[in-house]
Amino acid sequence: MKNCEKYRNIFIERFSLEEDFDVKKIKRYDVTDWDSVGHMMLITALEDSFDMMFEMEDILAFDTYENGIEILKKYGIEM
Amino acid sequence: MFLELDQKSSNNIALIDSEGQQATYGDVVAFSQLFGTIFPLKTLIIVLNNNTVGSAMGYLAAMIERVVPLMLSATMDGELLKELTDTYHPEFLWKPMDMVQGNETVVLEKCGYALVPTGLEPYPLYEDLSLLLTTSGSTGSPKLVRHSYNNLEAQARNISAFFDAKEDDKPMVDLPINYTMGLSVLNSYLYAGATALLTGLNPISPKYWEFLKTNEATVLTNVPYYYEILKKLRFFRMDLPYLRIITQGGGKMSDELYMECAEYAKRTGKKFIPTYGQTEGSARMAYLPAELAYEKCGSIGRAIPNGKLYLINDDETVITEPDVVGEMVYEGPNVTLGYAVKGEDLILGDERHGVLKTGDMVKMDADGCFYIVGRKKRFLKLWGYRVGLDECENIIKSAFDVECACVGDDERMRIYVNSEAELDTIKKYIASKTNVNSSAFEMHYIEKLPRNDAGKILYSKL
Repeated sequence: MKNCEKYRNIFIERFSLEEDFDVKKIKRYDVTDWDSVGHMMLITALEDSFDMMFEMEDILAFDTYENGIEILKKYGIEM
Repeated sequence: MFLELDQKSSNNIALIDSEGQQATYGDVVAFSQLFGTIFPLKTLIIVLNNNTVGSAMGYLAAMIERVVPLMLSATMDGELLKELTDTYHPEFLWKPMDMVQGNETVVLEKCGYALVPTGLEPYPLYEDLSLLLTTSGSTGSPKLVRHSYNNLEAQARNISAFFDAKEDDKPMVDLPINYTMGLSVLNSYLYAGATALLTGLNPISPKYWEFLKTNEATVLTNVPYYYEILKKLRFFRMDLPYLRIITQGGGKMSDELYMECAEYAKRTGKKFIPTYGQTEGSARMAYLPAELAYEKCGSIGRAIPNGKLYLINDDETVITEPDVVGEMVYEGPNVTLGYAVKGEDLILGDERHGVLKTGDMVKMDADGCFYIVGRKKRFLKLWGYRVGLDECENIIKSAFDVECACVGDDERMRIYVNSEAELDTIKKYIASKTNVNSSAFEMHYIEKLPRNDAGKILYSKL
């Protein structure tokens, strides 16, 4: 599976979204479950899946689907 | 005056919020005088709280003027708010300006908040009734905890004593002040003449840390889940020289996280103080002295100053020997008056007389330190917030035509319903009604709930 697909699936699964949901536009707090609890679960799921660890600044800055992609690229993950 | 607020240096700052507002002790007292002119008689108001200076000013003015505030979250579900309003008839709402509707009259404004009359006929109130809080903040259960003035004064005095609170302290008040522990931080530090740092932000927001660092917060108070987040954010490696105390309540921390907090405190010369409390005891009833944090891992410690803890058997006899499990009882001046479930209950007096059966099953070691082992009452603490199981059943049953039973632990609530098709819908519904992340709910289909001959649900079989 390509990284961008893996990334998308984590969002769909984590926030119980419909398969055809337009995830690209979502922001933190837009989706009910993307609160502080959901955010930490998302971060853990991404770390496990991509075998990496986020720095604090990146955990805080990560607030949209799109900027999450940019952040992952910083850790050398091809998206 | 409430918390002797008029005895503090009037130019000292009492409140700062992350919206950029602040108020001195002088401002708080002056505003309360203005506020008082609107209330010739003791009455009930609802404060829709968002942890800002405006919200706290309304709460404090009400307390000073002996107007009774019912503290609720500004983000509370509209239907639940209506239910509480219909049940208790507040004469006014103190709410954020942006929640005021076009057809509503504003009689007073301050720091982004407005006082709006409801037109409802108030119920008679018990003279010593000071404050009302919900037992289960998130489910909006109409059951309220009735506090006296002495409850709050005693709690503020005792807590500021064991935290050694000082005028130059700046505690973070990020737990909502409509929640007993958040309110207790505000009260106890204002009693000490300190500066409360109010915010509705949470630690995954960069602005939260900016607020904490710019103001050099000296005390953090939060639920175990908060420290899980902090751990993930590598908080234990951060350099925060001004921070003096980290303290925890609202449920049991994992031993691992507990030790991490204790080690962090030891390494950096700070204090880690685990506490135990509940709304019925005006927040804290026990705490573990910082110097015992290491050797008494997982303990809630001993009673707070001027309080007493002991255990009883099923037949209510007192347990004297160590390491025997019994229900924990607390006695102290912070034990609240009792509950209210309807408007007529607001006239009731003291029903507990300083004695509270906590509903927690506890054992005591030979050194007199208490350890929680279980819970008698039907509620969970999900992410540190109390969620009533019976209330959740009622919420589900009133919206769906199903049989329903809720059980679980503080990690997860298990919900059993007899409608396979609606599992997902119900999960989303209960998450939105309780304002709890849906990952805390595990849905199960069950054809028929196990019941005894009398028709009572047998929860132990689920």
